[in-house]
Amino acid sequence: MTVTDIDLSVEFAGLRLQTPIVLLSGCVGFGDEYTRVDGYSHEHVGAVILKGTTLEPRLGNPPHRIYETPAGMLNAIGLQNPGARHVVEHILPRLPHDKTHFWANANGTSPEEYAEVARIFDDSPVTAIEINISCPNVKAGGIHFGNDPEMAARVVEAMRPMTSKPLITKLSPNNADIAETARLVIEAGSDGLSVINTLVGMAVDVDKRIPVIANVSGGLSGPAIKPVALWKLHQCRAIAARHGIPILGQGGICSPRDAIEFAITGADAIGLGTGLFLDPLLCPKVLDGLRTYLERHGLGSYAELVGSLAS
Amino acid sequence: MFECEARIVAHAHHAGDQHILRLEAPSIAEHALPGQFVHVRVSDCHLLRRPVSIMLADAEKGTVDLLYKVVGEGTRVLAACQVGQQLSVLGPIGRPFDLGDAGSRYVLIGGGVGIPPMIFAAVRLVGFADCVLFAGSEVAFPFALRPSTMLLPGVQGNAILSIASLEDRGIPCRLASNAGLYGCFEGHVPELARQYLMALDEAERSRCVLLACGPHPMLHAVARLGRELDLPAFLSLEEFMACGVGGCAGCVVKTLEEGREHYRRVCVDGPVFPANMLPEFA
Repeated sequence: MTVTDIDLSVEFAGLRLQTPIVLLSGCVGFGDEYTRVDGYSHEHVGAVILKGTTLEPRLGNPPHRIYETPAGMLNAIGLQNPGARHVVEHILPRLPHDKTHFWANANGTSPEEYAEVARIFDDSPVTAIEINISCPNVKAGGIHFGNDPEMAARVVEAMRPMTSKPLITKLSPNNADIAETARLVIEAGSDGLSVINTLVGMAVDVDKRIPVIANVSGGLSGPAIKPVALWKLHQCRAIAARHGIPILGQGGICSPRDAIEFAITGADAIGLGTGLFLDPLLCPKVLDGLRTYLERHGLGSYAELVGSLAS
Repeated sequence: MFECEARIVAHAHHAGDQHILRLEAPSIAEHALPGQFVHVRVSDCHLLRRPVSIMLADAEKGTVDLLYKVVGEGTRVLAACQVGQQLSVLGPIGRPFDLGDAGSRYVLIGGGVGIPPMIFAAVRLVGFADCVLFAGSEVAFPFALRPSTMLLPGVQGNAILSIASLEDRGIPCRLASNAGLYGCFEGHVPELARQYLMALDEAERSRCVLLACGPHPMLHAVARLGRELDLPAFLSLEEFMACGVGGCAGCVVKTLEEGREHYRRVCVDGPVFPANMLPEFA
Protein backbone atom coordinates (compact mmCIF):
# COMPACT_ATOMS: atom_id res chain seq x y z
CA MET A 1 0.00 0.00 0.00
CA THR A 2 1.21 3.53 -0.75
CA VAL A 3 0.14 6.78 0.77
CA THR A 4 -2.01 7.50 -2.27
CA ASP A 5 -4.15 4.42 -1.61
CA ILE A 6 -5.03 5.45 1.92
CA ASP A 7 -8.67 6.32 2.44
CA LEU A 8 -9.06 9.47 4.49
CA SER A 9 -12.78 9.82 3.91
CA VAL A 10 -14.99 9.19 6.91
CA GLU A 11 -18.61 8.47 7.67
CA PHE A 12 -19.99 10.93 10.22
CA ALA A 13 -23.61 10.93 11.38
CA GLY A 14 -24.72 9.46 8.08
CA LEU A 15 -22.66 11.89 6.01
CA ARG A 16 -19.68 11.01 3.85
CA LEU A 17 -16.85 13.48 4.57
CA GLN A 18 -14.02 13.60 2.02
CA THR A 19 -11.46 14.04 4.81
CA PRO A 20 -11.71 13.78 8.60
CA ILE A 21 -10.86 17.47 9.01
CA VAL A 22 -13.66 19.77 10.13
CA LEU A 23 -13.05 23.51 10.40
CA LEU A 24 -14.54 24.73 13.64
CA SER A 25 -17.24 27.24 14.31
CA GLY A 26 -16.02 30.67 15.29
CA CYS A 27 -12.67 30.26 13.56
CA VAL A 28 -13.67 30.40 9.91
CA GLY A 29 -16.38 33.06 9.77
CA PHE A 30 -19.31 32.13 7.58
CA GLY A 31 -17.44 29.58 5.56
CA ASP A 32 -15.42 31.32 2.88
CA GLU A 33 -12.98 33.55 4.78
CA TYR A 34 -9.98 31.24 4.34
CA THR A 35 -10.42 31.22 0.58
CA ARG A 36 -8.57 34.55 0.78
CA VAL A 37 -5.40 32.55 1.45
CA ASP A 38 -3.58 31.33 -1.64
CA GLY A 39 -3.37 27.52 -1.48
CA TYR A 40 -6.40 27.03 0.78
CA SER A 41 -8.91 24.56 -0.63
CA HIS A 42 -12.30 23.42 0.67
CA GLU A 43 -11.40 20.05 -0.85
CA HIS A 44 -8.97 19.45 2.01
CA VAL A 45 -11.77 19.54 4.54
CA GLY A 46 -14.69 17.27 5.30
CA ALA A 47 -16.89 20.04 6.63
CA VAL A 48 -16.83 23.70 7.56
CA ILE A 49 -18.90 24.78 10.55
CA LEU A 50 -20.27 28.28 10.21
CA LYS A 51 -20.06 30.92 12.89
CA GLY A 52 -22.45 30.57 15.82
CA THR A 53 -25.89 31.78 14.81
CA THR A 54 -28.84 32.95 16.88
CA LEU A 55 -32.42 33.62 15.88
CA GLU A 56 -32.00 37.40 15.84
CA PRO A 57 -28.89 39.38 14.82
CA ARG A 58 -26.31 39.99 17.54
CA LEU A 59 -23.80 42.83 17.70
CA GLY A 60 -21.28 40.83 19.74
CA ASN A 61 -18.99 41.96 22.54
CA PRO A 62 -16.90 45.13 22.58
CA PRO A 63 -13.11 44.77 22.17
CA HIS A 64 -10.78 43.47 23.44
CA ARG A 65 -12.28 40.19 22.36
CA ILE A 66 -9.13 38.10 22.22
CA TYR A 67 -5.84 37.76 24.07
CA GLU A 68 -2.85 35.47 23.71
CA THR A 69 -2.06 33.30 26.72
CA PRO A 70 0.70 30.72 27.25
CA ALA A 71 0.13 28.10 24.53
CA GLY A 72 -3.35 29.37 23.93
CA MET A 73 -5.70 32.27 23.54
CA LEU A 74 -8.84 33.64 25.14
CA ASN A 75 -11.79 34.77 23.09
CA ALA A 76 -15.11 36.37 23.91
CA ILE A 77 -16.68 37.32 20.59
CA GLY A 78 -20.21 37.34 21.93
CA LEU A 79 -21.91 35.48 19.10
CA GLN A 80 -21.72 38.35 16.62
CA ASN A 81 -23.95 37.17 13.77
CA PRO A 82 -26.62 38.51 11.43
CA GLY A 83 -29.35 36.09 12.55
CA ALA A 84 -30.37 32.69 11.18
CA ARG A 85 -32.69 33.98 8.43
CA HIS A 86 -30.01 36.28 7.04
CA VAL A 87 -27.50 33.42 7.03
CA VAL A 88 -29.91 31.17 5.15
CA GLU A 89 -31.06 33.83 2.69
CA HIS A 90 -27.85 35.73 2.00
CA ILE A 91 -24.81 33.71 3.04
CA LEU A 92 -25.55 30.06 2.31
CA PRO A 93 -26.49 30.63 -1.35
CA ARG A 94 -23.00 31.88 -2.16
CA LEU A 95 -21.08 29.00 -0.57
CA PRO A 96 -19.72 26.19 -2.80
CA HIS A 97 -21.79 23.29 -1.43
CA ASP A 98 -20.36 20.96 -4.07
CA LYS A 99 -16.84 21.38 -2.61
CA THR A 100 -17.45 20.36 0.99
CA HIS A 101 -20.14 20.14 3.67
CA PHE A 102 -21.18 23.34 5.40
CA TRP A 103 -22.74 22.89 8.83
CA ALA A 104 -24.63 25.44 10.91
CA ASN A 105 -23.85 26.17 14.54
CA ALA A 106 -27.05 26.87 16.47
CA ASN A 107 -27.26 29.02 19.58
CA GLY A 108 -30.03 30.34 21.81
CA THR A 109 -31.04 31.63 25.19
CA SER A 110 -33.96 29.22 25.52
CA PRO A 111 -34.80 25.77 24.14
CA GLU A 112 -37.49 27.48 22.04
CA GLU A 113 -34.93 29.76 20.37
CA TYR A 114 -32.65 26.81 19.61
CA ALA A 115 -35.65 24.99 18.11
CA GLU A 116 -36.52 27.93 15.89
CA VAL A 117 -32.93 28.21 14.67
CA ALA A 118 -33.03 24.48 13.84
CA ARG A 119 -36.28 24.94 11.93
CA ILE A 120 -34.79 27.77 9.86
CA PHE A 121 -31.64 25.79 9.01
CA ASP A 122 -33.67 22.68 8.22
CA ASP A 123 -34.78 24.39 5.03
CA SER A 124 -31.27 25.22 3.84
CA PRO A 125 -28.27 23.58 2.16
CA VAL A 126 -26.38 22.94 5.42
CA THR A 127 -26.05 19.19 5.86
CA ALA A 128 -25.87 19.14 9.66
CA ILE A 129 -26.46 21.41 12.62
CA GLU A 130 -24.00 21.67 15.48
CA ILE A 131 -25.56 22.76 18.78
CA ASN A 132 -23.56 25.13 20.94
CA ILE A 133 -24.99 24.35 24.35
CA SER A 134 -22.46 26.66 26.05
CA CYS A 135 -24.95 29.54 25.99
CA PRO A 136 -26.57 31.10 29.07
CA ASN A 137 -30.13 30.01 29.78
CA VAL A 138 -31.85 33.30 30.53
CA LYS A 139 -34.79 31.63 32.28
CA ALA A 140 -32.42 29.78 34.60
CA GLY A 141 -30.48 32.81 35.77
CA GLY A 142 -27.85 32.61 33.07
CA ILE A 143 -26.54 29.13 33.86
CA HIS A 144 -25.02 27.69 30.71
CA PHE A 145 -27.13 24.90 29.21
CA GLY A 146 -24.01 22.85 28.76
CA ASN A 147 -23.09 22.95 32.43
CA ASP A 148 -26.21 21.04 33.39
CA PRO A 149 -26.76 17.67 31.68
CA GLU A 150 -30.57 17.89 32.00
CA MET A 151 -30.72 21.38 30.50
CA ALA A 152 -28.41 20.32 27.69
CA ALA A 153 -30.73 17.43 26.86
CA ARG A 154 -33.76 19.76 26.83
CA VAL A 155 -32.10 21.83 24.11
CA VAL A 156 -31.59 18.74 21.93
CA GLU A 157 -35.15 17.55 22.62
CA ALA A 158 -36.52 20.92 21.52
CA MET A 159 -34.51 20.92 18.29
CA ARG A 160 -34.99 17.26 17.33
CA PRO A 161 -38.52 17.52 15.90
CA MET A 162 -37.59 20.63 13.91
CA THR A 163 -35.11 19.04 11.56
CA SER A 164 -34.22 15.83 9.82
CA LYS A 165 -30.60 16.92 9.51
CA PRO A 166 -27.99 15.40 11.84
CA LEU A 167 -27.66 17.23 15.15
CA ILE A 168 -24.16 17.38 16.63
CA THR A 169 -23.99 18.54 20.23
CA LYS A 170 -20.86 20.46 21.23
CA LEU A 171 -20.06 19.49 24.79
CA SER A 172 -18.58 21.85 27.34
CA PRO A 173 -15.60 20.79 29.43
CA ASN A 174 -16.79 23.19 32.12
CA ASN A 175 -19.20 20.78 33.78
CA ALA A 176 -18.69 18.06 36.30
CA ASP A 177 -19.66 15.02 34.26
CA ILE A 178 -19.19 15.28 30.52
CA ALA A 179 -19.98 11.57 29.97
CA GLU A 180 -23.36 11.99 31.64
CA THR A 181 -24.11 15.00 29.42
CA ALA A 182 -23.04 12.93 26.42
CA ARG A 183 -25.42 10.14 27.43
CA LEU A 184 -28.39 12.46 27.94
CA VAL A 185 -27.93 14.41 24.69
CA ILE A 186 -27.56 11.16 22.75
CA GLU A 187 -30.76 9.84 24.32
CA ALA A 188 -32.43 13.15 23.45
CA GLY A 189 -31.64 12.59 19.79
CA SER A 190 -28.15 13.90 19.13
CA ASP A 191 -26.56 12.18 16.11
CA GLY A 192 -23.01 13.24 16.93
CA LEU A 193 -20.86 14.93 19.56
CA SER A 194 -18.26 17.69 19.38
CA VAL A 195 -15.73 17.31 22.18
CA ILE A 196 -14.71 19.84 23.50
CA ASN A 197 -15.75 23.47 23.52
CA THR A 198 -13.38 26.02 25.10
CA LEU A 199 -12.53 26.23 28.80
CA VAL A 200 -13.53 29.43 30.58
CA GLY A 201 -10.68 31.69 31.67
CA MET A 202 -9.57 35.28 32.11
CA ALA A 203 -6.50 37.52 31.93
CA VAL A 204 -5.60 40.73 33.76
CA ASP A 205 -4.09 43.96 32.46
CA VAL A 206 -1.70 44.78 35.30
CA ASP A 207 -1.15 48.38 34.20
CA LYS A 208 -4.81 49.29 34.13
CA ARG A 209 -5.86 46.66 36.70
CA ILE A 210 -8.76 45.56 34.55
CA PRO A 211 -9.64 42.30 32.81
CA VAL A 212 -8.01 42.26 29.36
CA ILE A 213 -11.14 40.79 27.79
CA ALA A 214 -14.00 43.31 27.82
CA ASN A 215 -16.41 40.48 28.63
CA VAL A 216 -14.16 39.66 31.65
CA SER A 217 -14.12 35.93 30.88
CA GLY A 218 -13.33 34.22 27.61
CA GLY A 219 -12.99 30.79 26.11
CA LEU A 220 -9.51 29.32 26.30
CA SER A 221 -8.41 27.43 23.19
CA GLY A 222 -5.21 26.22 21.60
CA PRO A 223 -2.51 23.71 22.59
CA ALA A 224 -2.98 24.61 26.28
CA ILE A 225 -6.27 22.71 26.34
CA LYS A 226 -5.21 19.68 24.29
CA PRO A 227 -4.64 17.33 27.23
CA VAL A 228 -8.02 18.31 28.69
CA ALA A 229 -9.68 17.73 25.33
CA LEU A 230 -8.10 14.30 24.94
CA TRP A 231 -9.23 13.28 28.42
CA LYS A 232 -12.80 14.50 27.84
CA LEU A 233 -12.84 12.71 24.48
CA HIS A 234 -11.67 9.56 26.23
CA GLN A 235 -14.45 9.96 28.80
CA CYS A 236 -17.11 10.33 26.10
CA ARG A 237 -15.83 7.61 23.81
CA ALA A 238 -17.37 4.61 25.55
CA ILE A 239 -20.89 6.00 25.76
CA ALA A 240 -20.75 7.31 22.18
CA ALA A 241 -19.44 4.00 20.81
CA ARG A 242 -22.16 2.10 22.67
CA HIS A 243 -24.78 4.17 20.80
CA GLY A 244 -22.89 4.21 17.49
CA ILE A 245 -22.55 7.99 17.74
CA PRO A 246 -19.49 9.65 16.14
CA ILE A 247 -17.34 12.26 17.87
CA LEU A 248 -15.74 15.33 16.36
CA GLY A 249 -12.61 15.61 18.52
CA GLN A 250 -11.15 19.05 18.97
CA GLY A 251 -9.08 21.19 21.29
CA GLY A 252 -5.65 22.54 20.41
CA ILE A 253 -4.90 20.43 17.34
CA CYS A 254 -1.97 22.16 15.61
CA SER A 255 -0.06 19.33 13.93
CA PRO A 256 -0.51 15.93 12.30
CA ARG A 257 0.69 14.34 15.53
CA ASP A 258 -2.04 16.11 17.52
CA ALA A 259 -4.63 14.87 15.02
CA ILE A 260 -3.31 11.31 15.32
CA GLU A 261 -3.60 11.46 19.12
CA PHE A 262 -7.25 12.50 18.81
CA ALA A 263 -7.94 9.78 16.25
CA ILE A 264 -6.42 7.07 18.44
CA THR A 265 -8.44 8.34 21.42
CA GLY A 266 -11.63 8.09 19.42
CA ALA A 267 -12.21 11.11 17.21
CA ASP A 268 -14.20 10.03 14.15
CA ALA A 269 -13.39 13.46 12.75
CA ILE A 270 -10.89 16.07 13.88
CA GLY A 271 -11.62 19.74 14.36
CA LEU A 272 -9.17 22.50 13.49
CA GLY A 273 -9.76 25.95 14.90
CA THR A 274 -7.10 27.94 16.70
CA GLY A 275 -4.46 25.89 14.87
CA LEU A 276 -5.47 27.70 11.68
CA PHE A 277 -4.42 30.99 13.27
CA LEU A 278 -0.85 29.69 13.47
CA ASP A 279 -0.97 28.15 10.05
CA PRO A 280 -3.80 28.95 7.64
CA LEU A 281 -2.58 26.10 5.43
CA LEU A 282 -2.61 23.52 8.23
CA CYS A 283 -5.18 21.22 6.58
CA PRO A 284 -3.02 19.70 3.79
CA LYS A 285 -0.15 19.29 6.27
CA VAL A 286 -2.37 17.33 8.65
CA LEU A 287 -3.66 15.19 5.78
CA ASP A 288 -0.11 14.44 4.57
CA GLY A 289 0.94 13.58 8.12
CA LEU A 290 -2.04 11.28 8.55
CA ARG A 291 -1.31 9.45 5.29
CA THR A 292 2.34 8.95 6.21
CA TYR A 293 1.45 7.69 9.68
CA LEU A 294 -1.24 5.31 8.42
CA GLU A 295 1.08 3.88 5.78
CA ARG A 296 3.86 3.40 8.32
CA HIS A 297 1.48 1.52 10.59
CA GLY A 298 0.00 -0.59 7.83
CA LEU A 299 -3.46 0.93 8.08
CA GLY A 300 -5.55 1.50 4.96
CA SER A 301 -7.86 4.16 6.24
CA TYR A 302 -8.35 6.84 8.84
CA ALA A 303 -11.34 4.94 10.16
CA GLU A 304 -9.09 2.01 11.15
CA LEU A 305 -7.12 4.32 13.44
CA VAL A 306 -10.16 5.75 15.25
CA GLY A 307 -10.48 4.54 18.82
CA SER A 308 -7.47 2.22 18.57
CA LEU A 309 -6.17 3.27 21.98
CA ALA A 310 -4.88 0.23 23.87
CA SER A 311 -6.43 -0.08 27.28
CA MET B 1 -3.04 36.73 0.47
CA PHE B 2 -0.02 34.48 0.65
CA GLU B 3 1.59 32.44 3.40
CA CYS B 4 5.32 32.13 2.88
CA GLU B 5 8.59 31.40 4.63
CA ALA B 6 10.26 34.76 4.27
CA ARG B 7 14.03 35.08 4.69
CA ILE B 8 15.28 38.03 6.72
CA VAL B 9 17.64 39.90 4.41
CA ALA B 10 18.26 42.88 6.69
CA HIS B 11 17.38 43.76 10.26
CA ALA B 12 18.44 47.20 11.48
CA HIS B 13 18.10 48.22 15.11
CA HIS B 14 17.42 51.81 16.10
CA ALA B 15 16.98 53.96 19.18
CA GLY B 16 13.88 53.50 21.28
CA ASP B 17 13.70 49.75 20.52
CA GLN B 18 12.60 50.45 16.94
CA HIS B 19 13.61 47.92 14.30
CA ILE B 20 13.43 47.78 10.52
CA LEU B 21 13.08 44.31 9.06
CA ARG B 22 13.54 43.53 5.37
CA LEU B 23 11.96 40.24 4.30
CA GLU B 24 12.27 38.32 1.06
CA ALA B 25 8.62 37.62 0.21
CA PRO B 26 8.12 38.08 -3.54
CA SER B 27 4.42 37.25 -3.74
CA ILE B 28 3.60 39.64 -0.89
CA ALA B 29 5.87 42.34 -2.31
CA GLU B 30 4.17 42.09 -5.68
CA HIS B 31 0.65 42.55 -4.32
CA ALA B 32 1.13 44.84 -1.29
CA LEU B 33 -0.64 48.19 -1.19
CA PRO B 34 -0.23 51.09 1.24
CA GLY B 35 -2.24 50.54 4.41
CA GLN B 36 -1.99 46.77 4.25
CA PHE B 37 -0.08 44.69 6.75
CA VAL B 38 1.56 41.30 7.16
CA HIS B 39 0.87 38.81 9.94
CA VAL B 40 4.19 37.50 11.23
CA ARG B 41 4.74 34.31 13.17
CA VAL B 42 7.52 35.34 15.54
CA SER B 43 8.34 31.91 16.99
CA ASP B 44 6.99 28.44 17.50
CA CYS B 45 6.39 29.33 21.15
CA HIS B 46 3.93 32.13 20.44
CA LEU B 47 0.53 30.99 19.34
CA LEU B 48 -0.63 34.10 17.56
CA ARG B 49 0.99 35.97 14.71
CA ARG B 50 1.82 39.68 15.06
CA PRO B 51 0.31 42.19 12.62
CA VAL B 52 2.92 44.64 11.28
CA SER B 53 2.15 47.30 8.70
CA ILE B 54 4.12 47.39 5.48
CA MET B 55 6.52 50.33 5.08
CA LEU B 56 7.75 49.55 1.59
CA ALA B 57 7.29 46.80 -0.96
CA ASP B 58 9.73 46.32 -3.80
CA ALA B 59 8.16 44.05 -6.38
CA GLU B 60 11.36 43.85 -8.44
CA LYS B 61 13.56 42.77 -5.56
CA GLY B 62 10.74 40.79 -3.97
CA THR B 63 11.20 42.41 -0.57
CA VAL B 64 8.98 44.07 1.99
CA ASP B 65 10.21 46.42 4.72
CA LEU B 66 8.57 46.53 8.14
CA LEU B 67 9.16 49.00 10.94
CA TYR B 68 8.12 47.87 14.38
CA LYS B 69 8.75 48.79 17.97
CA VAL B 70 9.18 46.34 20.82
CA VAL B 71 5.95 46.60 22.80
CA GLY B 72 5.67 43.12 24.28
CA GLU B 73 6.98 39.61 24.32
CA GLY B 74 6.24 38.83 20.66
CA THR B 75 8.00 41.88 19.26
CA ARG B 76 10.92 41.25 21.66
CA VAL B 77 11.33 37.78 20.13
CA LEU B 78 11.06 39.30 16.66
CA ALA B 79 13.78 41.85 17.48
CA ALA B 80 16.18 39.00 18.31
CA CYS B 81 15.73 37.35 14.89
CA GLN B 82 18.87 37.29 12.76
CA VAL B 83 19.55 37.96 9.10
CA GLY B 84 19.24 34.67 7.19
CA GLN B 85 16.51 33.33 9.50
CA GLN B 86 13.10 32.55 8.02
CA LEU B 87 9.77 33.73 9.34
CA SER B 88 6.32 32.54 8.35
CA VAL B 89 4.56 35.61 7.00
CA LEU B 90 0.96 35.95 5.87
CA GLY B 91 -0.03 38.84 3.67
CA PRO B 92 -0.71 41.30 2.27
CA ILE B 93 -3.82 41.73 4.42
CA GLY B 94 -6.53 44.35 4.66
CA ARG B 95 -8.20 47.11 2.75
CA PRO B 96 -5.56 49.64 1.74
CA PHE B 97 -5.81 53.42 1.71
CA ASP B 98 -7.80 54.70 -1.23
CA LEU B 99 -5.19 56.67 -3.19
CA GLY B 100 -7.15 56.71 -6.40
CA ASP B 101 -7.96 60.37 -6.95
CA ALA B 102 -5.24 62.17 -8.93
CA GLY B 103 -6.96 65.47 -8.18
CA SER B 104 -6.59 65.15 -4.40
CA ARG B 105 -3.74 66.35 -2.24
CA TYR B 106 -3.05 63.57 0.25
CA VAL B 107 -1.93 64.76 3.66
CA LEU B 108 -0.25 61.79 5.32
CA ILE B 109 0.06 61.91 9.10
CA GLY B 110 1.97 59.18 10.92
CA GLY B 111 2.92 58.80 14.55
CA GLY B 112 5.56 56.37 15.83
CA VAL B 113 5.07 52.93 14.34
CA GLY B 114 2.16 54.47 12.43
CA ILE B 115 4.68 56.20 10.16
CA PRO B 116 5.43 53.14 7.91
CA PRO B 117 2.13 52.97 5.98
CA MET B 118 2.41 56.72 5.37
CA ILE B 119 5.85 56.25 3.81
CA PHE B 120 4.46 53.48 1.60
CA ALA B 121 1.54 55.69 0.55
CA ALA B 122 3.82 58.63 -0.21
CA VAL B 123 6.13 56.53 -2.36
CA ARG B 124 3.19 55.10 -4.34
CA LEU B 125 1.71 58.57 -4.88
CA VAL B 126 4.83 59.94 -6.58
CA GLY B 127 3.95 61.01 -10.10
CA PHE B 128 0.24 60.38 -9.58
CA ALA B 129 -1.10 62.83 -7.02
CA ASP B 130 0.18 65.54 -4.70
CA CYS B 131 1.07 64.51 -1.20
CA VAL B 132 2.83 65.73 1.89
CA LEU B 133 3.95 63.66 4.85
CA PHE B 134 4.07 64.69 8.51
CA ALA B 135 5.64 62.28 10.95
CA GLY B 136 5.75 62.47 14.73
CA SER B 137 7.87 60.60 17.23
CA GLU B 138 8.93 60.89 20.83
CA VAL B 139 12.11 58.92 20.22
CA ALA B 140 14.77 59.46 17.54
CA PHE B 141 13.38 58.74 14.08
CA PRO B 142 14.74 55.45 12.71
CA PHE B 143 15.54 57.03 9.33
CA ALA B 144 18.31 59.10 7.80
CA LEU B 145 17.18 62.73 8.09
CA ARG B 146 18.34 65.87 6.37
CA PRO B 147 17.25 69.50 6.03
CA SER B 148 14.50 69.83 3.47
CA THR B 149 14.94 71.91 0.35
CA MET B 150 11.20 71.88 -0.31
CA LEU B 151 9.24 74.79 1.09
CA LEU B 152 5.97 74.02 2.81
CA PRO B 153 3.44 76.74 3.60
CA GLY B 154 2.69 77.27 7.28
CA VAL B 155 5.65 75.29 8.52
CA GLN B 156 7.84 77.54 10.61
CA GLY B 157 10.74 77.73 12.98
CA ASN B 158 12.64 74.62 13.86
CA ALA B 159 10.85 72.21 11.55
CA ILE B 160 13.56 71.91 8.94
CA LEU B 161 14.32 68.19 8.80
CA SER B 162 12.82 65.67 6.40
CA ILE B 163 13.22 61.93 5.87
CA ALA B 164 16.07 61.70 3.36
CA SER B 165 14.59 58.87 1.29
CA LEU B 166 11.40 60.90 0.79
CA GLU B 167 13.34 64.08 0.02
CA ASP B 168 15.21 62.09 -2.66
CA ARG B 169 11.90 61.15 -4.25
CA GLY B 170 10.64 64.72 -4.18
CA ILE B 171 8.08 64.07 -1.44
CA PRO B 172 7.68 67.00 0.93
CA CYS B 173 7.93 65.91 4.57
CA ARG B 174 8.35 67.46 8.02
CA LEU B 175 8.73 66.01 11.47
CA ALA B 176 7.22 66.74 14.87
CA SER B 177 8.23 65.77 18.37
CA ASN B 178 7.57 66.72 21.97
CA ALA B 179 10.94 65.30 22.97
CA GLY B 180 13.01 68.28 21.83
CA LEU B 181 14.43 66.45 18.82
CA TYR B 182 16.57 68.72 16.66
CA GLY B 183 14.98 70.04 13.49
CA CYS B 184 11.46 68.98 14.42
CA PHE B 185 8.32 70.98 15.08
CA GLU B 186 7.83 71.12 18.84
CA GLY B 187 4.41 69.65 19.46
CA HIS B 188 2.10 66.94 18.26
CA VAL B 189 2.14 65.98 14.60
CA PRO B 190 -1.56 66.79 13.91
CA GLU B 191 -0.81 70.37 15.04
CA LEU B 192 1.99 70.57 12.46
CA ALA B 193 -0.41 69.27 9.80
CA ARG B 194 -2.99 71.81 10.94
CA GLN B 195 -0.55 74.73 10.52
CA TYR B 196 0.17 73.54 7.00
CA LEU B 197 -3.50 73.15 6.10
CA MET B 198 -4.41 76.56 7.52
CA ALA B 199 -1.73 78.19 5.38
CA LEU B 200 -3.23 76.81 2.16
CA ASP B 201 -5.73 78.89 0.27
CA GLU B 202 -9.33 77.72 0.38
CA ALA B 203 -9.27 76.04 -3.06
CA GLU B 204 -6.06 74.17 -2.33
CA ARG B 205 -7.19 73.10 1.15
CA SER B 206 -10.53 71.78 -0.10
CA ARG B 207 -8.82 69.13 -2.23
CA CYS B 208 -6.91 67.72 0.75
CA VAL B 209 -7.57 64.23 2.09
CA LEU B 210 -6.21 63.27 5.52
CA LEU B 211 -4.73 59.79 5.97
CA ALA B 212 -3.45 58.84 9.40
CA CYS B 213 -1.93 56.01 11.34
CA GLY B 214 -0.61 56.22 14.88
CA PRO B 215 -1.55 56.25 18.54
CA HIS B 216 -5.19 56.87 19.45
CA PRO B 217 -4.74 60.44 20.77
CA MET B 218 -3.13 61.32 17.43
CA LEU B 219 -5.99 59.70 15.49
CA HIS B 220 -8.51 61.62 17.62
CA ALA B 221 -6.72 64.87 16.76
CA VAL B 222 -6.69 64.02 13.04
CA ALA B 223 -10.40 63.17 13.12
CA ARG B 224 -11.08 66.52 14.83
CA LEU B 225 -8.95 68.29 12.23
CA GLY B 226 -10.96 66.67 9.45
CA ARG B 227 -14.21 67.82 11.02
CA GLU B 228 -12.93 71.32 11.72
CA LEU B 229 -11.76 71.85 8.14
CA ASP B 230 -14.48 69.73 6.54
CA LEU B 231 -11.95 67.36 4.99
CA PRO B 232 -12.29 63.61 4.57
CA ALA B 233 -10.12 61.68 7.04
CA PHE B 234 -9.18 58.01 6.94
CA LEU B 235 -7.66 56.27 9.93
CA SER B 236 -5.68 53.05 10.04
CA LEU B 237 -6.44 51.13 13.23
CA GLU B 238 -4.90 48.42 15.37
CA GLU B 239 -6.49 45.83 17.63
CA PHE B 240 -5.47 42.54 19.19
CA MET B 241 -5.67 40.10 16.30
CA ALA B 242 -5.85 36.34 15.93
CA CYS B 243 -6.48 34.86 12.49
CA GLY B 244 -5.87 37.88 10.25
CA VAL B 245 -8.14 36.49 7.52
CA GLY B 246 -11.57 37.50 8.83
CA GLY B 247 -12.38 34.12 10.34
CA CYS B 248 -12.54 34.82 14.07
CA ALA B 249 -13.97 38.36 14.39
CA GLY B 250 -11.58 38.94 17.28
CA CYS B 251 -10.10 42.25 16.11
CA VAL B 252 -13.17 44.43 15.83
CA VAL B 253 -13.90 48.14 15.98
CA LYS B 254 -17.35 49.66 16.42
CA THR B 255 -18.74 51.45 13.36
CA LEU B 256 -21.87 53.47 12.74
CA GLU B 257 -23.39 52.86 9.31
CA GLU B 258 -26.72 54.34 8.26
CA GLY B 259 -27.57 54.90 11.91
CA ARG B 260 -26.82 51.32 12.95
CA GLU B 261 -23.96 50.04 15.05
CA HIS B 262 -21.76 47.23 13.80
CA TYR B 263 -18.49 45.65 14.82
CA ARG B 264 -16.20 45.48 11.80
CA ARG B 265 -13.05 43.37 11.61
CA VAL B 266 -9.89 45.45 11.62
CA CYS B 267 -8.05 42.74 9.64
CA VAL B 268 -10.17 42.47 6.51
CA ASP B 269 -12.86 45.17 6.78
CA GLY B 270 -10.03 47.59 7.73
CA PRO B 271 -7.46 48.41 8.91
CA VAL B 272 -8.34 51.67 7.16
CA PHE B 273 -11.72 53.19 8.01
CA PRO B 274 -13.26 56.59 7.24
CA ALA B 275 -13.09 58.57 10.49
CA ASN B 276 -16.75 59.53 10.22
CA MET B 277 -17.71 55.86 10.40
CA LEU B 278 -16.05 55.39 13.80
CA PRO B 279 -18.08 56.55 16.83
CA GLU B 280 -14.95 56.34 18.97
CA PHE B 281 -13.44 59.18 16.95
CA ALA B 282 -16.62 61.23 16.55
